Amino acid sequence: MSYKPTEHDLMAYLYGELEGDERAALEQYLLEHADARLELEKLQGLRRTLAQVKDKEVIAPPIFVGDRQQHYFWHTPYFKTIVSIAASLLIVMLVGKLAGLNIRYQQNELKISFNGGAPETVPVAPATAPPTIASAPTLTQQQVQDMINTSVQQNNAALQASLSATEQKLNASIRQSLALNSGQVDNLVKQASSASQQQVRDFVASLQTENAKLVKSYFQLSANEQKQYVEGLLVDFAKYLQQQRNDDLQIVKTQINSLQQNTDLFKQETEQILTSIITTVGTGKNTSKQNLN
Amino acid sequence: MMHSDTLLTRAKEGDQNAQGKLVQLWYKRIYNFSYKFFLDHDMAMEVSQKTFISMCRNLAGLQDNARFKSWLYKIAVNYCREEARKKKGNRSLSFDSVWNREAEESPAWEGSSQRLDNPERQLQQAELADVLQQALGELSDEQREVVIMKEYEGLKFREIADVLNLSENTVKSRMYYGLDGLRKILERKNIGKDTLGYEL
Repeated sequence: MSYKPTEHDLMAYLYGELEGDERAALEQYLLEHADARLELEKLQGLRRTLAQVKDKEVIAPPIFVGDRQQHYFWHTPYFKTIVSIAASLLIVMLVGKLAGLNIRYQQNELKISFNGGAPETVPVAPATAPPTIASAPTLTQQQVQDMINTSVQQNNAALQASLSATEQKLNASIRQSLALNSGQVDNLVKQASSASQQQVRDFVASLQTENAKLVKSYFQLSANEQKQYVEGLLVDFAKYLQQQRNDDLQIVKTQINSLQQNTDLFKQETEQILTSIITTVGTGKNTSKQNLN
Repeated sequence: MMHSDTLLTRAKEGDQNAQGKLVQLWYKRIYNFSYKFFLDHDMAMEVSQKTFISMCRNLAGLQDNARFKSWLYKIAVNYCREEARKKKGNRSLSFDSVWNREAEESPAWEGSSQRLDNPERQLQQAELADVLQQALGELSDEQREVVIMKEYEGLKFREIADVLNLSENTVKSRMYYGLDGLRKILERKNIGKDTLGYEL
């Protein structure tokens, strides 16, 4: 195998950036070549030495970025003024167009009209002759008053008629709606009452069933419990009687044993006394015989 | 992933709060990348500021949210290169290299988070870190940016290739020769087995 790592491979391996087959090949090469291994160790030693240089602590000063925005011609004040005036004019023209403004100046007369109506004539400068006042037939104050009164009466009559017609319509409408609503309400109430009676019946029936079930189960439970309790009581009583009997028997047995022991003791004592009396009597006879002798 | 897709989308739409949050999340990473590149706090701050200003202005043009990390590091790398070119042309001496303010006001071991550990060991580690940073500085710009992105920023080779517009193999080669160079520099500075307790 003629693999020999280049300085590039060595650097990549030294900094952990060699991967895959290349890394494996280089590691194999290092295993087989002590001089290459030594070279790598020296480089690693140098890295450890270089690591002695620590970072210097520094506080970042504020960075002021100057205003270097490009000055375009539309940023100039003159341009802005001109554009604002033009915009204002444009708005005025637009409003005039929308309102149908029509202005004419003909024969010393300025004519202004809106919405395409007939131009109103405004005399601008009465240059030559003053306007003449045409003599028209005039109305007296009484006639005007009469006309006004007539007009007002007509108006009142029309209003009254309109009001009475409206009132009639309203009344008819209210009656109709009331009749409709009352019918609907009656239906609803009937439905509600019938539904509620049915529901009450169902509810009562369900309550009764439930209660019956509950009472039944309670009695069953209670009877069972009572039975169990009485059984338990009888068993306990029987046990108690048996225990009492045993105890009594034990006491009687003990008493009999004690009596037996006392009797035996008494018997022994009696025997001993008799023996001692016999012995005493025997000794007394001998002594008297000896004395007699 | 240090941020959510929602946050990124909001930032892309011009939400300044979201942009601010992104800056907060990534500032430390970009600062540390730049610091290790230049070994200079002011330069790192400069590059970080420019990177994030550029990020806020151009975020709307980012097509694929998944490539945000590569895109951000690409901006940072470009600014690092720009500043490095300026630095080479300028030939001026950084004030920090003359007066090490950090060293004077706050010893490295004192600022450490492991203050209660053995102070002697802390000091040794701080000195070792300085030596390592200097060794990084001795690498070529191409090797240094790859080593920092890989070793300290944890980017994958594919992401670094994306940032630098290179092939993955070229990135790996730069990494290999960068590590080799570092090893030689450290050996020259007698940083070895005795110093660290293990062999380089």
